[in-house]
Amino acid sequence: MNSSVMTPRRAVVLCILIALLAAPAAAASVERTVASLPEGGFEVTLTVTDIPVGGIVETIPDGCTWAGTDHPENRTRVSGQHVAFAVVGEETVRYRMQGPAEAGEEIAGTWEDLQAGESGTVGSDGPRNPGEAAQTTAPGAPGFEWAAALAALVVLCVRRCGR
Amino acid sequence: MTHKLLLLVCCIFLLAGTAAAETVPCDSDGDGTLTASELATAILDSLDARFMGGTVEVPSSDDLRDAAFVYEHWDGRALTITDSSGRETTLSRPLRKIAVFNSDTIEMMRSIGVESDRVVGVSKYTLEDPTYFPEYRGKANLGSTWAPDYEQAAAVRPDAVFLYATISQSSCDEIEETLSSIDPGIRFFRFDSYRPTAYADEVRTMGALLGKEEGAERFLAFHGSVMDTVAGRIASIPADERVSVYLENWDDYKSAGNGSGYDEKIGLAGGRNIFADTAVEYPAVDPEAVISRNPDVIVKIVGAGELVFGGYGDDDPAPFEEVTRAIEDRPVWDRIDAVRDGRVHVIHSDVIGGPEYFIGVAYMAKWFYPDLFPDLDPRAVHQQYLSEFQRLDYDLEEHGAFVYPV
Repeated sequence: MNSSVMTPRRAVVLCILIALLAAPAAAASVERTVASLPEGGFEVTLTVTDIPVGGIVETIPDGCTWAGTDHPENRTRVSGQHVAFAVVGEETVRYRMQGPAEAGEEIAGTWEDLQAGESGTVGSDGPRNPGEAAQTTAPGAPGFEWAAALAALVVLCVRRCGR
Repeated sequence: MTHKLLLLVCCIFLLAGTAAAETVPCDSDGDGTLTASELATAILDSLDARFMGGTVEVPSSDDLRDAAFVYEHWDGRALTITDSSGRETTLSRPLRKIAVFNSDTIEMMRSIGVESDRVVGVSKYTLEDPTYFPEYRGKANLGSTWAPDYEQAAAVRPDAVFLYATISQSSCDEIEETLSSIDPGIRFFRFDSYRPTAYADEVRTMGALLGKEEGAERFLAFHGSVMDTVAGRIASIPADERVSVYLENWDDYKSAGNGSGYDEKIGLAGGRNIFADTAVEYPAVDPEAVISRNPDVIVKIVGAGELVFGGYGDDDPAPFEEVTRAIEDRPVWDRIDAVRDGRVHVIHSDVIGGPEYFIGVAYMAKWFYPDLFPDLDPRAVHQQYLSEFQRLDYDLEEHGAFVYPV
């Protein structure tokens, strides 16, 4: 038997191996599910994975109205069509809104993992912009590197001259 | 005078960047504890300003990120740790930029899962070993403990510098003194990362310091499973029935005295060091003394001095065999039980001298008491260490030379 021929069993093993190798390590994400409520409106459930401390901003479609949340009040902020949730250990965030039947599919959202410095789109598989979460300032103030290098030169010069 | 003035100006400039580092970020009431409520408010303020048109004053991205770390890893409070030199340091922010002069400490950090991108500079020895430390290629070269490159060390602006705790103390003190005078904001930490008595404590302290508590416990569970297995089985052997061992390092007739690291490791493996009564740590011994003390087992260490071969970058086991034969052929050594019984073993310093010492202890325990450890597979322990904790794609079946006989 030609050993280079791929038998079905080998193909299965190979597929499993490829799947295992291709599977990303635990990555942060937020999934959204939308359910219609019997009394009208929707309940939106955000499932948070591997984000111990972070934030989510949801933008609910025009024509919809905010109808409340189970998330703690001091971790929720609503402004117009935007709602922000602070995530401090929670794995699920639920909120409700009123609106037309198709509105559930038009919600847009973004999340941030503050510890990992990653951000992403709610409903997508993983981080979109690693290292860019909450990037409100430049990562390092310019000028410090040359100050450090200059200080090092001065110290070395002082030490050498003193010998 | 001009130099000192210039230095003062530089230090003031550098301090300006670290002055805010003394309080827990986002602790809005200033009581020293960052609560979930304070953290949530800071997060909401930041999201509000960036996505919702809010105009409140927001914490910087660094403050938010540091606050998240302090809340998650340090219960929202500043962390005070004691390093292996006995020095207490209090931190209110995580260490983001680390410079490490000690490659044993780099290895310990990797064992607990510290990301290489937090390390901004490493020793020349780390850079000279790309097989074992591939991810540090291209990092700033800090030189060595004995010949540091201060310009490089200052240029990478580390939050913290890691140095040895108990070896080369004067060199490490000088590094601290010099770098402190360049940048007073640098924190210094002393860890040996290879001494068995301090190893578990150092791993835990490192885990807390760098936010790798879970990684530290996971690694210690693995390390403990090896050491506890050995300790548990040798515990029942009376002291006077323990295997007598002559250990020789890479220099001929250079052994290990009382209190030395190798003396300790022989004891951990259940052996009795025949030169344990020698006060000198690494005594040069008389060959006649070895013959008269007649050890049951001889352990020879290679990988340094005149015997630089084997280890991770060398797959050839032949020199190990040559060293064994040379010991067996020493004049009159055929009278020694260890030689007569074929119990001369060679081990590479990589797996007995540094953070991997527990692998060497496992090998020695099996050599000393093969009947007690039929199920202990030191090579499998070694492979698991490399694959799971060092995260290296390195197959011991194909590469490296560490012990003889295999």
